[in-house]
Amino acid sequence: MRHAFDIDGTETEVWLARDGQAYRLEGDAGRARVSLDGQGLDRELSVDSRREPVLMVIEGEVIHLHLGGRTYQVRHLDPARRFADADDSAGGDVARAPMPGTVVRVDVAVGDAVTTGDPLVVIESMKLETTIRAWHDGVIAELHVAAGQSFDRDAPLVTLGSGAV
Amino acid sequence: MSGFPFDTLLVANRGEIALRIIRTAKRLGLRTVVVAHAADAGSPATLGADEVVAIEGRTGVAAYLDGAQIIEAARRTGAGAIHPGYGFLSENAGFARAVAAAGLTFVGPTPEAIDLMGDKIRARAFVAERGFPVAPSAIEDEDPASFVERARALGAPLLVKPSAGGGGKGMRIVRDMALLDQEIAQARSEGERYFGDGRLYVERFVERPRHIEVQVMGDGHGTVVHLGERECSVQRRFQKIVEETPSPALTPELRSRICETAAGIARAAGYRNAGTVEFIFGGGEFYFLEMNTRLQVEHPVTEEVTGIDLVETQLRVAAGERLAFGQGDIRSTGHAIELRIYAESAARGFTPTTGSVLALRLPTGEGIRVDIGIAEGQRVTTAFDPMLAKVIVHGPDRATAIARARKALAGFALLGCETNGGFLDRLMAHPDFAAGAVHTGWIDENPDLAAEPTLSADLLRRIAAVAALATRAVRDGADAVPPLHAAIGGWRN
Repeated sequence: MRHAFDIDGTETEVWLARDGQAYRLEGDAGRARVSLDGQGLDRELSVDSRREPVLMVIEGEVIHLHLGGRTYQVRHLDPARRFADADDSAGGDVARAPMPGTVVRVDVAVGDAVTTGDPLVVIESMKLETTIRAWHDGVIAELHVAAGQSFDRDAPLVTLGSGAV
Repeated sequence: MSGFPFDTLLVANRGEIALRIIRTAKRLGLRTVVVAHAADAGSPATLGADEVVAIEGRTGVAAYLDGAQIIEAARRTGAGAIHPGYGFLSENAGFARAVAAAGLTFVGPTPEAIDLMGDKIRARAFVAERGFPVAPSAIEDEDPASFVERARALGAPLLVKPSAGGGGKGMRIVRDMALLDQEIAQARSEGERYFGDGRLYVERFVERPRHIEVQVMGDGHGTVVHLGERECSVQRRFQKIVEETPSPALTPELRSRICETAAGIARAAGYRNAGTVEFIFGGGEFYFLEMNTRLQVEHPVTEEVTGIDLVETQLRVAAGERLAFGQGDIRSTGHAIELRIYAESAARGFTPTTGSVLALRLPTGEGIRVDIGIAEGQRVTTAFDPMLAKVIVHGPDRATAIARARKALAGFALLGCETNGGFLDRLMAHPDFAAGAVHTGWIDENPDLAAEPTLSADLLRRIAAVAALATRAVRDGADAVPPLHAAIGGWRN
């Protein structure tokens, strides 16, 4: 089966083929005879004849790994989800957090009609206040955060609907 | 018995700071109490202390800044002394007074010293009046009528800043004196806007300055010593990332001059307990910048080369003891470097990152020390400072220390939250750092340092192999999700 991964921001497609006791890696990353031995967090990766330790945790679709002295977060891209995400971004109407932070103030309520430029939510990150303003005329469809709440990067903040009041 | 006039110490801080102080207090036979906000439940500091007192606040930071709650916690738990750590309350004269008024020992300087050094202009005037070097300057307050004339007489380049300022706001560098009037007008309007105060302060600007500071310690019985200098020039956004001692920029003659100057300033201020005198160094000259009236984050490099536990010394001095060593007894051996591990993305402009600590591996080996305040299963949020840990290395010489720093970084693994580990390794590997040729603007001048390097074909193949094999194993049920992950799901509830 083919797998697609986001590795350091680049989509990489690979697949595995049986090769005796081990597997053969094929695809964008190149060919190699590979195996991953051990259980739990500490594993040993073998690529062709080279072996090295790997520290690894899987968290949902993200594989966190420490390899060769550096840490990587590799995201498994599910084919079905990739289509769904593409749809979402096409009609996307959600303001997402550019970085983690805290909500200072929420200026609107669900159902409020707003015009372009109206302040919606004030957030604070890195001691810097940012006001999220209406990016088009519309109605507040959903508030994903409340005052005082902290959020992670990419967290949805406000959904702005286009429907009339 | 501990031999101290108090048998219980309350630590009014969190994270690696609290744990660091608890470690020494325990070794000295003191009982330890730590205050903790709910966000820190289960942290190593709360597990390391003998007793934990919950504190509340509108935010986590507000809870740790609430002096009244902390003093009440000390009363309730029978603590005779409070160590404020090295942030939050450590430079708050009001808190130091309140601690004393409650009949408790404050592990830090006198409130008078905190007041004097906390006001930068007052501190500067105090230092200059006693003949110690400060950057040539003109302060508007002293004589508003002649201010511009005095500023012009200093010559370019100049730094214009609001008297009420801080954090770099409203500061302007003037390299062309023809623009002086215009820049003064701009700085004044910014000072009014940011601080409601348009008064200005101008000083000679040191190009490509280095930041060098000296650790001092006074016992309140008339003895003040210095414990050598630290260089903290590697900074991003005015925040230190790497500190080392000795500074590669100083000759032995300059070193003894800067260290004696620092001790002289502390002596003039009648200083007691641990403090740091900071200097700007450039063009072969050093100038007093400010004094921090607390133990600093980078104190371990001094401890590594001198073999002196600074927290122990702080506690003994606070208990009224005389310093057990004189200037002549302090010997520095080898070279030490401290690297700060931050939860941040160097590639995205050093913005903070968040996540759960899913796995943690700490480096061990000769000359490697790690001061850390988080553990597996804890969540990293933006509620507090992004510093997670410090990796401190010590070696017989600078090259060995750098090699050990790289080895320690390779062995430091934190999974679940992006850190600046890779960036620190690139710093350590950079020829400018090896040559000791850095200054406070070095990182800004080298943006390629912050960018993550492109993966080589070989590395891409190894990462892809792990990802594909792990995905397949989980999918086939041949391998369960690592057990720790399941456990963390439970801890979060």
